[in-house]
This record gives sequence, structure tokens and C-alpha cells, in this order.
Amino acid sequence: MSLPQDTPVRALRRRVLALADTKRLLGIRYSDWLLGAPSIEDGIACSGMAQDEWGHARLLYALFKEWDEDPVAVEQDREPGRYANAPALDDPLDDWPDVVAVMYAVDGALSVALEAMGEGRFEVATSRIPKMLGEERYHRDLASAWLRRLSGGAEEGASRLRRAVERVLPTTLAWLAPEDGAHEALVAAGFDAPSVDLEARWVERIGEGLDRLELGMPPRPGEWDPERGRGPGEPDSEAVERARGDRNRMLFVE
Amino acid sequence: MKDRVFDVFARKERGEPLSHIGYVDAVDAELAKVYAWRTYDEQNWFEMCIVPRTEILPVNRDDGPFASGGGGPGQAE
Repeated sequence: MSLPQDTPVRALRRRVLALADTKRLLGIRYSDWLLGAPSIEDGIACSGMAQDEWGHARLLYALFKEWDEDPVAVEQDREPGRYANAPALDDPLDDWPDVVAVMYAVDGALSVALEAMGEGRFEVATSRIPKMLGEERYHRDLASAWLRRLSGGAEEGASRLRRAVERVLPTTLAWLAPEDGAHEALVAAGFDAPSVDLEARWVERIGEGLDRLELGMPPRPGEWDPERGRGPGEPDSEAVERARGDRNRMLFVE
Repeated sequence: MKDRVFDVFARKERGEPLSHIGYVDAVDAELAKVYAWRTYDEQNWFEMCIVPRTEILPVNRDDGPFASGGGGPGQAE
């Protein structure tokens, strides 16, 4: 274990799990759109982004070894109620505006969270984060291009996107920038940025889209699960079975 | 908005000539850039560029693959 002695391990574990679970669920949601995206090129982009997210999730789960916890158990042995993903990913994405909203707001929040962790004292993570952020650049470009296209196009597409973004904003804000003691402990120990900074960076990142959609940042939802660092709810069981690889493991012979 | 054809050119190393490696259909250059990078990611390209097919001007013949000025996909293949 190479963590500094004053590491708030419980809070750091919560944050890393929140990032890893969000990336794994995001990868699943993107993968649902390999076929059925507006064009073959968008499907290929979803495929690439799904692979990026799963690769990053694997790297993040591996960080659990830093506090002597088995990453395999974390990846494969948890019930849906113990997932710490951004709540916007709890359910499948119904249409393309939903995908764009998640790509813009949730994928963007992930980048902000990773940037902040990358500036902190968690050395093993800081060495891995720049490559992840480099790969995420194209997620941002695709999200921005689609946000401009939908918001500047037919009213039906623009209003669907507006509703989709409006839906994901409150829970994603609470997930990205927790206002509780665990996060304050991380900040005090130099592992993360203050909640207010995370919110400001996210608003700066997605501000152009909010302006285009004539949306402001809504208030945070009232309910909060301090154990997981997210609001109430859990991902659907089918997604969790895919995240854990349940069906693949049935094929293994001991 | 109608899709346009963007031809994709890339080089593996600095100093190598740009090669035509394919095309993508996209409504604008911004999306075309992302599509191109994602679609032709089998190499660790040193440089990749896209060109709207309508901007490629034939010089010596009018029945070559680029001569139709952005017609059907894949004409340059």
C-alpha cells in the first residue's frame, strides 16, 4: 500500500467506486446504441466510446488494490443497490437525445471529476488519468456536435434534448460535487477539489449547451445516500448482470 | 440537413505522404472529424485530415473517382 498515512480511505474508496461504476454503466448504455444510432458513423463512435469507458473502468477498479481490497470482488460480487454510478445511468437510454444528454452532461462530469482527482495526491491514479482524459476528448467533440445539431434543428429534437438534459442535471450535479463530510475529508487531505469548484468547472464545460437549450442549473435533489455518494435508486438488474459479467462466468469451469 | 461526403487522409509518420484511407458521411465538418477518427482508428496516426469531397477539384480528367464532386459514397475508393 503506497497511500499517504493521512489518506481518508473510506472517502477515497467511495469516490473511486463512483467513477468506476459510472464508467462501466456508461459503457453499457453506449453499447446499446452500436446499432440504431442515427448513422453508421455514430454507431462506430458509440462502440469506441463504450470500449474507452470499459477500459477506464477496469483501470479504476484496479485502484482498489491500493487499500488491499480485491478488485475482482468489487467488479463481480455487488448487488445493484451497492452501485455508486451517476443516477442518470440507472435506466436504459430511450432515444438518441437521451444518449446525447448523457454524453454531454454525465460523460462531461466524469471528465471534470477525473481532472480534479488527477491534480490531487492519489499518485497511482494521477499517472493513469491523463491518458483517459485524452481519449475522452472525442466524446466531448461528438457530444458538442450533436448538441448543436439537435438544439439548432427541428423543434421536436430540440425539445426532447432539452427535457433529457434537464432530467440528468440535478442528480449528476449531486454525484459530481458531493456536499458532505466524506467529500470534505477528501478535499482536506488533498485528494479532490472542493464541491463548489467541481460544480463551477462542470458548468463552464457544459455552459454553452445550457445556453443553447435555455436551461439553468436546477437545485440538487433532496435525498442523498452518503454511503454511495449519490442520490437514491439503483441501476436496473440486467445492466448490473452485464456489468458483473454473470453470464460469462457461468461458462467457466472451476 | 443532408449528409455530405468527407474524404479522410492520414499519415503514420512525420514526413510520410498523406494517403487516402477512406471516407465518412456527415452533416458537417465537426461531426466528420469525430467520425473519421473513430472509424479509421486501426493505426496510431501521426496526422489525419478530412476534406469535403466537393472541395477536391479534378485536374486531368472528368471521369475520375473524385470528379463527381461529392456524389455517391465510396467513389474515391
